[in-house]
Amino acid sequence: MLLTACGTVDEVRSARLEQATEFNQRGQRAFQRGEYQAAATLYEQALQIDVAIENESGIAINTLNLARVNQVLGKTALAQRLLDHLLEDKALRYAPAHLAEAAAQKALLRLQENDTAGAALWADKAGAYCESDCRIAGVIDNVRAGIALRANDADKALQLSERALSANSDVPLERANALRLMASAKLIKNEAAAALSLAEEALVIDKSLGLPEKIRQDLLLSAQAHEKLGQAELAVQCRDRAARIAATALK
Amino acid sequence: MKLPNYNQRLLSMETRTKRFMLGAVAVMLLVLAMIAAKQDYFSRSTAIYFFTPNAQGLSKGMAVKFIGFKVGSVKEINMEPNATVRVKVSLDDEYVHLIGQDAKARLVKEALVGESVVEIIPGSQQVRQVSQNSVLEFERGQDASTVVENLASQLQPILSDIHQITSSGDIQQTLKNLNQASGTFRQTVNEYTQLGANGNKAMEHINSSMETLDKAIPKLVDKADATLDNVQAATADIKKITSDSAGEIPSLVRNANALVQDGQETLGGVKRSWLLNSLFTAPEEQSLPVDGYVAPTQP
Repeated sequence: MLLTACGTVDEVRSARLEQATEFNQRGQRAFQRGEYQAAATLYEQALQIDVAIENESGIAINTLNLARVNQVLGKTALAQRLLDHLLEDKALRYAPAHLAEAAAQKALLRLQENDTAGAALWADKAGAYCESDCRIAGVIDNVRAGIALRANDADKALQLSERALSANSDVPLERANALRLMASAKLIKNEAAAALSLAEEALVIDKSLGLPEKIRQDLLLSAQAHEKLGQAELAVQCRDRAARIAATALK
Repeated sequence: MKLPNYNQRLLSMETRTKRFMLGAVAVMLLVLAMIAAKQDYFSRSTAIYFFTPNAQGLSKGMAVKFIGFKVGSVKEINMEPNATVRVKVSLDDEYVHLIGQDAKARLVKEALVGESVVEIIPGSQQVRQVSQNSVLEFERGQDASTVVENLASQLQPILSDIHQITSSGDIQQTLKNLNQASGTFRQTVNEYTQLGANGNKAMEHINSSMETLDKAIPKLVDKADATLDNVQAATADIKKITSDSAGEIPSLVRNANALVQDGQETLGGVKRSWLLNSLFTAPEEQSLPVDGYVAPTQP
């Protein structure tokens, strides 16, 4: 019996599934390096295999990744279509966690197009998909904070982003997002010193993650805070640093 | 009233204990029988011997193979008083009729980096089959490093020859002569074209050029012959090496290929095994983290 137990092996993975995994991982690496077009191609290849072998989890993951890459590439319409495929699929059943991610991403896309009502609707759907152990609860809070900011509701934005900050204590990306949102809310409330401190904290995290666009946003927020504090020279420096990053055209 | 009941229960327990013990003994015997079968204790075998100057690469329990099938194993390795090594091999009786007295035992490696086995090279069909205590001739097969060393040692003189041929000046001189002759001929033709009417003079030039060519061509032919002889000798050497190694190289390549495949399968098996699978997590498809931030529209 013991020998039998020792000889137990994991579930055998098919060569096709391993191939899809390899494409997915290469896509992840390409995305991390900022090679978005290459990442899109690799995710497409992984998705094609996952569809062929009807690997539901893989289909959901790679569709989400493709939507995300296309969002970064500015192809928002294509990103929305991909997410719709996932959210409206009647034939296959995807995990609620994946559907929650798709809905949250949809909310972000609506927000990007200044459709705050649509964004709020999809954020609510994301919350509904997210069950008790919701991994993206902090993300949803950040999305809602973003929506509140668009509506100039600084207090609500601050409350939601603070909640997101505590929920994302171990996720640097979302932690920095929450800090950035808090800094924006503080600026609206004319609390420039607090805003500057939060923006600088976010800047440290974004630099460690190597995210040019986020670094630029942090510097612009710092510039606004310096301006409100009457530190014109420092504000100019921050804007100059942000402009240099923008000139690289790296996202 | 209670005592008979107690005795009955005691008896029942005793019976069950006896049954359990008998079962356990039976299982133990079965396991022992299986081990004995695996160790060939139940199969009849014939002992044969071979002698070798040294025991390098040989070990007790080593498999003995005949046309790729395991037909026995090395049972004993002893040093003789005359400092030779006597190896006792046990052959399954089932296969003995296939092995003639003139068969040879050869020590070979199954792969580039694999286990060594004793391979029985079949002898002539007409010769009587081996019997108890027969002695076979023994030889050591070439391993990968020996083949490569042989190849290198045989290639060395050929490379020297080729170097000598190309640097000795024969070829350069031949080309120089040819160039010179064709230059003279071209010059003559040009003169013939330009002078036109001065045919006689030009004809004289042609005649002299032809004489030059007449002298040069035999030399060229001689040198070309010598060069071709050298090249032919080198080609013959290469052919010889190729034919000598032809039998070894494909098997080396096949073995290397099989070795890589075996290695991959083994590694895969090890990675999936119960003891080590926690150290090697199987890669899975991963999703990008959702980025919950949209930059505000700049004022």
